[in-house]
Amino acid sequence: MPQTDAAAVALARDGDSEAFRALVERHGRAVYRLAYRMTGSAQDAEDVVQETFLKAYRQLPRFESRANFGTWLHRIAVNCSIDLIRARPHRETGQADSDLEQFGAAVESTDATGASPERLMLSTEVQHRIGEAMTKLSRMERAAFMLRHFEGRSIEEISQSLGLKTNATKHSIFRAVRKMRTALEPFVADA
Amino acid sequence: MTTMQHLTDDDLVLHYYGELDSAAETQATTHLSACESCHRNYVRLQRVMAAIDSAPVPAVADAFERTVWARLQPSLSPRRGWLSWFVLSPANLGWAAAVLVLVAGAFYAGRMTPHQHPNDAQTATASQIREGVLLVDLNEHLDRSQTMLVELVNADPNSDALDLTAEREHAGELLAANRLYRQTATNAGDVALSQLLDELERLLVEVSASPDQLPAEDLERVQQRVAAKDLLFKVRVVSSAVKERQKQQTRSRTGVGQSS
Repeated sequence: MPQTDAAAVALARDGDSEAFRALVERHGRAVYRLAYRMTGSAQDAEDVVQETFLKAYRQLPRFESRANFGTWLHRIAVNCSIDLIRARPHRETGQADSDLEQFGAAVESTDATGASPERLMLSTEVQHRIGEAMTKLSRMERAAFMLRHFEGRSIEEISQSLGLKTNATKHSIFRAVRKMRTALEPFVADA
Repeated sequence: MTTMQHLTDDDLVLHYYGELDSAAETQATTHLSACESCHRNYVRLQRVMAAIDSAPVPAVADAFERTVWARLQPSLSPRRGWLSWFVLSPANLGWAAAVLVLVAGAFYAGRMTPHQHPNDAQTATASQIREGVLLVDLNEHLDRSQTMLVELVNADPNSDALDLTAEREHAGELLAANRLYRQTATNAGDVALSQLLDELERLLVEVSASPDQLPAEDLERVQQRVAAKDLLFKVRVVSSAVKERQKQQTRSRTGVGQSS
């Protein structure tokens, strides 16, 4: 197995499929995690992983060898996620705020331990609740929010990527944050 | 927004992400330093955002890399026959994606309106011919999948470990085509076909990523999965529907079976 990404890329460019396999093995999980965050669906994330590596393979000749392969692959994965979200807008998973309020209330009722928010933040239970809250976001809310929060894209850039007007993008992010606050504030309220 | 006005939740989000223009940003900063209520609200927002930063990463199976590679490899390696033409060329991929919509549509139409014939179908059009070719391809794919399922279902788990070398290769070949069909069916809104192909794909992935010698317990698990999902039955039903659609198309093209 080639020691570095650069060496693997060079071999893969020459048709060495084992070298490309090494790249898949090194970066596959990171791409999956990103895709899952963006799409909120394991099946969609798997499709994004496939599409990302297919595109990367086809575009290898155009890859600048001085660039970082992981960064380049990450960018392809983000674009593949966006393409998939735009192609399948019907698969909405968002739920009404009232559901989230019930969810938040349920969380609050379970938080009777008196533990500090800092301690709770570290608990797997909190992580589980965050994952649950994420699933309450619609696809567009999730995509816009993830691009802003985790990818550091500006609202202007996100609007262009998702094909939304700036205001629509802002409101997708606002709704996403509102939902997350509703679900999570019981955990992180002032001690 | 003035220093006297409280900041809305949305203002705070824009402030948090640095998305306010410079004048609004200055006002927000000034206000937050003076207003206890808004400051507390902002701290709550920051806490939520910090919690989100620790969002759980979904668990990934141990065999994840092997599975990804099993699905990916058929699309990368040189291939022979119609499948290679179908898979490798980006131009043909585009064409395939476009016309496979017809397959799903044709499948759906054939399933929903089995006795309907277009009045103006006396002459074979280019799209009919193309649709016919694609139905043949889909039919072949389903037939090959059926063959594999039958082999798996009929394998004896009580015998020595099953040699799956040939099945693994076949599954790898079928995967790329199956994935295209599934994506197209999904995009065309054909939920039933998409779900069936998704179930089939998961099995193909498992088989193609399995070791050469499949232990008896693994074989039993695969057989149980095929049985639980009625996979073989479903594939047969869809295959029959596709064949029926082919017959309809032939009758439509030749005028056989149509009222004069």
